[in-house]
Order: sequence, then C-alpha cells, then structure tokens
Amino acid sequence: MKFLMTTGRTIRQGSSVERKNSPEYIGEASTVRMNPVDMFELLVEEGNAVRTTGPGGSVVMRVRPDPGLPRGLVFVCLGPYANILVGSRTHGTGMPDFKTIPVDIEPTGDAPLPLSALMREYGGVPYED
Amino acid sequence: MRIEDVVCPFCGCLCDDLVVTVDGTTVTSVENGCTLATEKFLGHERLPHPIRRRNGSWEKTSYDDAIRKTAEILLEAERPLLYGWSGTFVEAQTIGVHLAELLGAVIDNTSTVCHGPSIMAIQEVGHPGCTLGQVKNRADVIVYWGANPIEAHPRHMSRYTTFADGFFVKSAFRERKVIVVDIRETDSSEVADEFVKVTPGGDYAVLSALRMIVRGRGDLVPGRVSGVTREQLFRVAEICLSARFGAIFFGLGLTMSRGKYKNIRNAIELTEELNRHTKFTISPMRGHWNVYGSNEVFTWITGYPYAVDFSRGIAFYNPGETTSVDILRRKECDACLVVSSDPGAHFPRACAEHLASIPTVQIDPHVNATTHLSRIQIPVAVTGIDAEGTAYRMDGVPIRTRRLFSTGYPDDVAVLERIYALAKEAKG
Repeated sequence: MKFLMTTGRTIRQGSSVERKNSPEYIGEASTVRMNPVDMFELLVEEGNAVRTTGPGGSVVMRVRPDPGLPRGLVFVCLGPYANILVGSRTHGTGMPDFKTIPVDIEPTGDAPLPLSALMREYGGVPYED
Repeated sequence: MRIEDVVCPFCGCLCDDLVVTVDGTTVTSVENGCTLATEKFLGHERLPHPIRRRNGSWEKTSYDDAIRKTAEILLEAERPLLYGWSGTFVEAQTIGVHLAELLGAVIDNTSTVCHGPSIMAIQEVGHPGCTLGQVKNRADVIVYWGANPIEAHPRHMSRYTTFADGFFVKSAFRERKVIVVDIRETDSSEVADEFVKVTPGGDYAVLSALRMIVRGRGDLVPGRVSGVTREQLFRVAEICLSARFGAIFFGLGLTMSRGKYKNIRNAIELTEELNRHTKFTISPMRGHWNVYGSNEVFTWITGYPYAVDFSRGIAFYNPGETTSVDILRRKECDACLVVSSDPGAHFPRACAEHLASIPTVQIDPHVNATTHLSRIQIPVAVTGIDAEGTAYRMDGVPIRTRRLFSTGYPDDVAVLERIYALAKEAKG
C-alpha cells in the first residue's frame, strides 16, 4: 500500500537517544505508526513486521496503531531506520525531505535488524559495547 | 551532595532550575527535570576508553594514539568535513572553526538538517524574535506550528507558555490561547484551544491564506485551504489579531517539509503582517541544547552560521553546495571528524554509507550509530555533567552549564586543542 511517511521526535526516542544499541531505542526507532483503519486494510496487527520502501531504500519495521494519524499518513521517529528511506537530494537547501516521504508498505515475515547489523550493511564494523 | 540550579544539556530550552543529587561520580536523583533530562543525568552508558578499528575489528587504544591518528587523517585529507558541534559548548566549537580554517576544511553543524532553512529565511527577511522571558511574561496567544513541544521540548509549555504564569499573564491557563498547527494529532495538539490540521505539505498555502485575511483580503480565500476550512482560518486570524502579544514557535514540520525555507519566510512575513495590528514574534524551536551556540560561534568567527567551506582560503557559504548532506551525497569529502552528534543515525542512507567508506573519526561520550561507521572514537566528558562550558538557549541567551563532578574523561576542548596543535605543527 502507498503511504506518505513523516518523521519527528518522540519522548521514548529522546529518552534512549544516548543508548542507541539498546532494545528501547531500537524498538522505538524501528516502529511505524499507522491509522488503525489502514492497518486493517493492510491486514496487520500491532507488532507485526512490515517492509517499508522509500526513495532511499527499504527497511523492516514493526507497526503500531495511532488513531491521531490521518489515513494514508504514517509516522516513524527520526533515526537510522527512518533515514534508510529518505532520499539524499536537498533541492539546493542542504535539507533532505525528512517529512512527507512517499513509501510503499507491505507485510513481511522478516524481523527488524539491530542497529549494528544495519550499520554493517552500510559498510561499517559493529562495535559491541 | 545536592546541587541546585543545574542546567540541563539536552534540548534548546536549557532549563536552569534542576536539582541534582550526586554520590561521588554518580547522579542519584534529578528534580524538576523532564523525562529527557532525567534520562540524560542518570544515564551511565559511556564509551570507557578510545577505540580504533584495525583489520576489521575494534581495539582499545590510548588518547595519545587516537589524537595523533586523528590529526594524521585530517592532515592527509584533501577535503575534510568537520561535522556536528551542537552537543558541545561554545569554547570547543571555537576551536573547531579555527581547525577548519587551518585545514581548509568544510565545517558544518547540525542545523544543516534542523533549522538551517530557518536561518536561510531569516537571512532573506529578518527575525522578529524575542527572549522566552518576554513570552512568559507577556504573550496571551501562543502558536506552535509544525512542532510537538510535549515530546521534543517537554518543559517549554510549563516554563514559558501554556502553563506558565507571567508578570502580565497572571493565570496562564485561563488567559493564554494556544493554537497548534500540524499534519497529525499529537500530545501538544490535545492541549490546544485551536488545533489546525493541515494536509501534508500544505503549510505554505495556509500561511498565505492567513496573510490574506490579516491583510484584509479574506474575500479571496477559498472554502478550504490544504485541508483547513475558511471558517477556521478566519477564527485563527481573529485570535491572532486580538492578541495583546502573540508568539509563534515553529518546528521541523515547517523546515523539513515541501517549501522548506520558503515556509519559514512566509511565517515570518505573516508575523510582520500581524505586527501592523498588534505585537507578534516568531522563534524556532531549536533542538540540540547548544545548536544555537554553534550558529553564534560560526557567525562571529566566519560571518556564516553553518556549512562554511574554507577550501578557498576564505570562508564561503552556499547551502545546497557546502552543506554536509550534499557533500556526502556527492562523495566529495575524503575524511570526516564528527563532534558530539550522530550523522550515522540522522543522515540519509547514502550519506551514512559514504561516512563508512572514508576515514571517519568521532569525538563523543557515547556509542551511537556513527561509532559503527567510524575508524576511531574518542570519548569525552559530558558537558553539564562532568564538563562545564557556555551554551546558547533557543532564544539566543547564553547560559553557563555546570560541572557536577570530575571524572577521568578530558573535555572536548582538551581533545580538540591537542588535534589543533598537531595540525598547526604540521602546517607550520
């Protein structure tokens, strides 16, 4: 299904931002919030995994209902999972399109990757603390 | 030991009324702080020592080795990028700018992916702003546009706006009107007197419609503008026009969405229109605790607030060209020094991938996404906890953060001064 994705700060993300390898941070950053009616149409329930694909790439997240979102709009807190989807063009402003990103979301049997594995995909070497 | 009037080094509010209890080098309790502050002070996950990547794995190294190798990487690079800076104090930022000049590097701070577009708009049309004290004591209408302070700046409403009684606003909760404009319902929109729900990307049009009404040409406003009814637009305009003192606070909902700096320009020009009728101000909700300081330091030394390129031997600034995301997307830089920020987590994938492909060094107290992409990480003291220095609040007021106790970690200044000295020695 096609959606617009927006990003922003959440209190859970901010609370765990200095513990980025922690389950709290990874859980929050890899959660896509969605209107419950959209979840019904997508045939997913809270905690189900979905593959989200955007201009920058594709990533697996877990879905959470949010009735405050209008239908067709999904929310992911700012962070490495959302930014996989973000394109790097800035239209001459220096600022990428972090809001209103067109994405495609489908249910998947895969699970979200931990942050270190995500960074390995980027070409990094995970540091385990 | 109980320490009063502690400054919180998390968000741009820089709350300076925290009471922190410490036992040796451990914080045991935090009073007056929000959740973010409490987590910040009570957190104890630090990188214990410098680390360096060799042959595909990480190993412990000394400060001497890490600093020497960092200087070598920066000196060998043809186009180094020095990025971050908003999570450290202005004294360290100052050394960073001088280091960039010495190296002929590009230096950029996190406003490049935050309120950079706000600065571009302010450069075009100016900034009718004020301090948060003025807002607290005078404002009877508050507008949050594209911002969710309850989650991003949790005490903004209780210290300065919605719930803060002021000298001329004796009962804030009754006397202040609060308008929230957003594309989704948030905790902040729930406490608003008026919630204006805009369709995504429609802020520019809504701002223009409000300007038309304030200008007296409301007859031209159609029945619905970007999801907002004509009736609500007139109601919002009336609330603003009947204010004794209004304050607009805007967030990344304006700077990051379609239109970017033009959205901010339109919001500033709406503020200007409102000032023909009453007193109105507009201010960005700055995120990192000292991102405003990085703009101040960059500007007072180079003349430009961020994205400063010294490769020509003079300071050059051109957002879209000298901004970090563009430089990384073009795979232009061949080394990167990241100071107190996390571009691995907060830049688009293509940019983070380039960071992994070049020698990237990080100076930061914590393990974060950039750690995995780096070749070296040098841990430092946390400003406001075991280091002290000056920071600028979101309204441009400088505040001195305090050191609660000393640990064995050097602060950012100590590490950067040594890197600068090595670079200076090599450059002659």
